[in-house]
Amino acid sequence: MARISIDPVTRIEGHLRIDVEVDGGKVQKAWASCTMWRGLETILRGRDAREGWVFAQRFCGVCTTVHAIASVRAVEDALQLEIPANAQYIRNLILIAHALHDHIVHFYQLSALDWVDITTIPKADPARAASIAEGFSTWPGNSRRELEAVQNKVKGLIGSGQLGIFSHGYWGHPAMRLSPELNLILFAHYLQALEFQRKSCQVVGILGGKTPHIQNLAVGGVMNAINLNSLATFNMDRLGMLQSLLQDLIPFVQQAYFVDACLLSASYPEWFRYGRGVANYLAVPDLPTDAKATQFDLPGGLIMKGDLASVQPIQNWRDQAFRSAVAEDVTHAWYRGEGAQIPWKGESDPEYTDFREDGKYTWVKAPRYNGQPIQVGPLANVLVGYASGHPLTRKWTDTAFKTISSVHDSGVSGFNLTPEALQSTMGRYLARAIRSAMLSDLALQHWQLLADNILKGDDTTFNPPQFPSHECEGVGMHEAPRGALSHWVIIDKGAFSNYQAVVPTTWNASPRDEKGIPGPYETSLIANPVLDPVKPLEVLRTVHSFDPCMACACHTFDASGRAIARVKVL
Amino acid sequence: MSTNVVNTTARHPLRRIAVLGLGNVLLGDDGFGPLAVEMFRSLYECDSKVEILDLGTPGLDLAPYLYDADLVVIADAVHPREEERPGTLCVYCDDDLASSQAHLRLTSHDPGVQESLAQLRLAGHAPSEVIVVGVVPESCGLGNSISLTVLNTCLVAVDTIARLLVERFIDCRRRHAPLQPSPWWLSGEHGRRDGFES
Repeated sequence: MARISIDPVTRIEGHLRIDVEVDGGKVQKAWASCTMWRGLETILRGRDAREGWVFAQRFCGVCTTVHAIASVRAVEDALQLEIPANAQYIRNLILIAHALHDHIVHFYQLSALDWVDITTIPKADPARAASIAEGFSTWPGNSRRELEAVQNKVKGLIGSGQLGIFSHGYWGHPAMRLSPELNLILFAHYLQALEFQRKSCQVVGILGGKTPHIQNLAVGGVMNAINLNSLATFNMDRLGMLQSLLQDLIPFVQQAYFVDACLLSASYPEWFRYGRGVANYLAVPDLPTDAKATQFDLPGGLIMKGDLASVQPIQNWRDQAFRSAVAEDVTHAWYRGEGAQIPWKGESDPEYTDFREDGKYTWVKAPRYNGQPIQVGPLANVLVGYASGHPLTRKWTDTAFKTISSVHDSGVSGFNLTPEALQSTMGRYLARAIRSAMLSDLALQHWQLLADNILKGDDTTFNPPQFPSHECEGVGMHEAPRGALSHWVIIDKGAFSNYQAVVPTTWNASPRDEKGIPGPYETSLIANPVLDPVKPLEVLRTVHSFDPCMACACHTFDASGRAIARVKVL
Repeated sequence: MSTNVVNTTARHPLRRIAVLGLGNVLLGDDGFGPLAVEMFRSLYECDSKVEILDLGTPGLDLAPYLYDADLVVIADAVHPREEERPGTLCVYCDDDLASSQAHLRLTSHDPGVQESLAQLRLAGHAPSEVIVVGVVPESCGLGNSISLTVLNTCLVAVDTIARLLVERFIDCRRRHAPLQPSPWWLSGEHGRRDGFES
């Protein structure tokens, strides 16, 4: 029995420790421990509810917009305040652009190197690589000349003996199986991705006034002034700029990223057998298409025990079942107390004990839905959409399956893929790409909704909030890049008297609960293969498949209570 | 009338210049970067090609803001190289960053500056020059406001940023009438709630 402790897990956002016990080449037990404490919600108590979002978007340096949106939605929910249609569309476009950016960074910069061995790239035949890539995609960045240029850069890098940031990869690991040509194709897109991250930031910047940390939100709508006859406001020029940025960005998502995820899936089919984990899934409805938020372009719902036929819809943000189902358990987390509390009553009094695998071992609380652990993220989003017959989800999932089986026909590898089989490590990667392709289509649709509504003569963007003198409570939901996010607020005379954020990584990185039931990371690692305990690449693949963002799940202090600020960089 | 004009009016061929603040404003002195760029904006007026931005703690999401830039000046809290006291100003150039001489802060969102630069270099879109204007923090506690020590250094840091631009012939002059800076996170007291006290 080998015990492996990976601390910290790298190429994620924030600080995470994973402990696994390996026997017979497979993981037998696992613990996920977040080594930072989040106390940011305490900063919000007592603050003006209209400015909460400005602080909430500093919870996390990466998902800034995500917390800003959930915060204004929570306050609007408490006030039962409707926002204008323009405000919905502008917010939706920001959310889509941010999500595309986030998914691109995850696939290439944060996780591709778990699968792509760059040290084989010098052996690739660029002409063959170009012909493989062009067989699956119309992406112009797949030309032989482009791939040769990337190969030369990699040769230069390896020749210099200074791999720099790439020096810590598990190069030559037997679990790395892509051909030199596929390694070259994916790494070329890794480098090209940087340009498209920029374009998605520009979309957020045009609408949000600034990126990161958008400035255009308000409880009651957005602060974008719309006037087609003014040069100084949101006008036809801006609409045109947005459209052309989206038209530049979308081909990269649908022709490079989406296809790469399919090629990766086809090349590592065994990874559809590992990493299933907790098979209960939650997605919240998002991208409302009307002012009252009654219709959504991303459906919400709940799937239990991996049974797609069991899907229970979450129709809208006022869903009562959702409100009464969520609770956070602190039995195994470094907080005072035991058992579960609903978020509105949640407290976060720290009680640090050191890592005790049978006791408290993490700063992450254990959220539960009707007492059950839940997996959230793009996979939940895609499964719920597919199970509810959502046409766009079906279109892109079926396209992915078709692309993967065409790789089989070309002799790389093959197997029968069904939506049920997505419940796995590779399924999470593929689902993120499917979701990105969907969001690309939706970006243009919501751009059209906004343009049509403005051209109809509607320029309203804001309904002023009225705060009652009595206490009121609200929930703000958002289907964020990493999954279902909810902010829970209690407002008294215009100020927050309590504030709790139940974030996607808290659901996924959840520790065991009072009944000893482990969370999604922990469960997904069971039976994961580990060829070489010194280089636990396979563990990283499964952990990275969730796109951990610990900074958001908890924050700022390491296990000994020292500020992270004092950790020395070597 | 201020005589502290530290500019040149000569047009410079540089296309894209960025002055970026890094750090979490909710963590005391870690908010040095955002505060420095906010004060720089209020005290100096620059060529329109100079982009002045508080980026928070973007981790790898920093790359788009460095992409193809000619010059990037980053204000950030840094670790002491030896035993420098809190409030010490440390200026690092490209070579310091490449040789890890610059002890940049390890934030909750590392990988950050070095990794973004390395990726951009390989992709052929790295900035031509990167300078880090750092300060050694006194305290980075949750919800703390910025320390007096770091606040004092911040003024020196702002003049340093201006000098770095001017030395590279970038139009940057001290404003005759400073703009009101808006470090909203330093209000200390909770925001006023006019009209809600019934």
